[in-house]
Amino acid sequence: MSEGMSEHSEIEAVEPGLEFLRPKFEVEGFPWAQVMGYVFSLLLTFAALLLVVYHAMPPILLLAVILALALGQAGLQLGVFMHLREGRGTAWQLLPLGLAFFIAFALIGTSIWIMLFKTGVS
Amino acid sequence: MSTPAVSEPRQPIPVEFADEEESIKITGFWMFLVTDMIIFASLFAVYAVYRSRTALGPTPQQLFHLGPTVLETLLLLTSSFTIGIAVWAMRSNRPRLVLGWLIATMALGAGFVITEISDFVAYTSHGATWHVSGFLSGFYVLVGTHGAHVTFGIMWAITLLLQLRRRGLTPITRRKLFTFSLYWHFLDIVWIFIFTFVYLSGKIA
Repeated sequence: MSEGMSEHSEIEAVEPGLEFLRPKFEVEGFPWAQVMGYVFSLLLTFAALLLVVYHAMPPILLLAVILALALGQAGLQLGVFMHLREGRGTAWQLLPLGLAFFIAFALIGTSIWIMLFKTGVS
Repeated sequence: MSTPAVSEPRQPIPVEFADEEESIKITGFWMFLVTDMIIFASLFAVYAVYRSRTALGPTPQQLFHLGPTVLETLLLLTSSFTIGIAVWAMRSNRPRLVLGWLIATMALGAGFVITEISDFVAYTSHGATWHVSGFLSGFYVLVGTHGAHVTFGIMWAITLLLQLRRRGLTPITRRKLFTFSLYWHFLDIVWIFIFTFVYLSGKIA
C-alpha cells in the first residue's frame, strides 16, 4: 500500500449482502490503465480520421461509425481516466451522469429529427 | 446481524476520498459536470439545426481544414493522458512528479488554445465571421465555448500549481487536483464530439 492511501475501517465494514457498498478504487504500481487508455484513444481517433479522409463507406454509415467511435472514446475517458466507478460506497455520480447522457441525446436527437421534416439537416 | 464481512481483503482508500468532506466535494463536482454537459448538449443541438444554413458564407466542407484540427485533437488527448498520470502520481504520493505532469498538461492545453485561436483567425481573415450565417454562429459559439473552458482550465491549473507548491499534497489539494482532472477529461470528451460531429462530419459529402 502506498502512502497516498489511508485505511478507514469503519467505511469498509459492510454487512453480508451489502458487498456492493464496499469502496472501489483503482490502485496500481505502474499506470498501465492510463497508458493503454492513451493508446486506444489515439487508435480510435485515427480510425475515425482515416475513415473520413478516404471516404471508406457511404455517408450515412460513415457518420454512424464515427459517432460510435466517439462514444467509445467517451466511455474510455470516463472509465479509465475519470475513475468513473470509484466511490467510498455507492457511486452517486452514475445516476445523474446517466440522466445527463439521456437529456443530451434526447435534445440533440429530437432537434435533428424535427428538422428533417422541413428540408433536412445533413 | 451486524457481522462485518471480514473475509474480503481491505482496500486502501485514496486520501481525497478518505476525507469525508473532500469526498462529498468530488461528488458535487460530478454534479457540476452533469450541468455543463447539458450546456454543451444544447449548443450541439443548435449547431445540428443550423449547420446547413450557410447563407452566403462558406459550407463546412469549404471552411474546415483537418490539419490544425487533428493537431488540436492530439494535443488534448495527450494532455488528458498527462493529467491522468498526474493523478496516478498523486495517489503514489510523488509530489514532484505531480507538478511535472501538471505543467505538461498546462503546456499541452496552451498549445491547444493557441492552435484553435490561429485557426479561428485564419477563418475570420477569409471573411468567415460569426454573423455571416447560422452555421458560422453555431460553430463559433459551440467551439468557442469549449475553447473558453480550456482557457479557464489552464488558469485553474496555474492556481492549483501554486497551491501544490506551497502546501504539498494535503487532502484538500489532492481533492482539487482530482476534480481538476475530472474537468480536464470532460473537456477532452466534449472535444472528441466536436472533432467528430463538427469537423469530421463536415468533411463527409
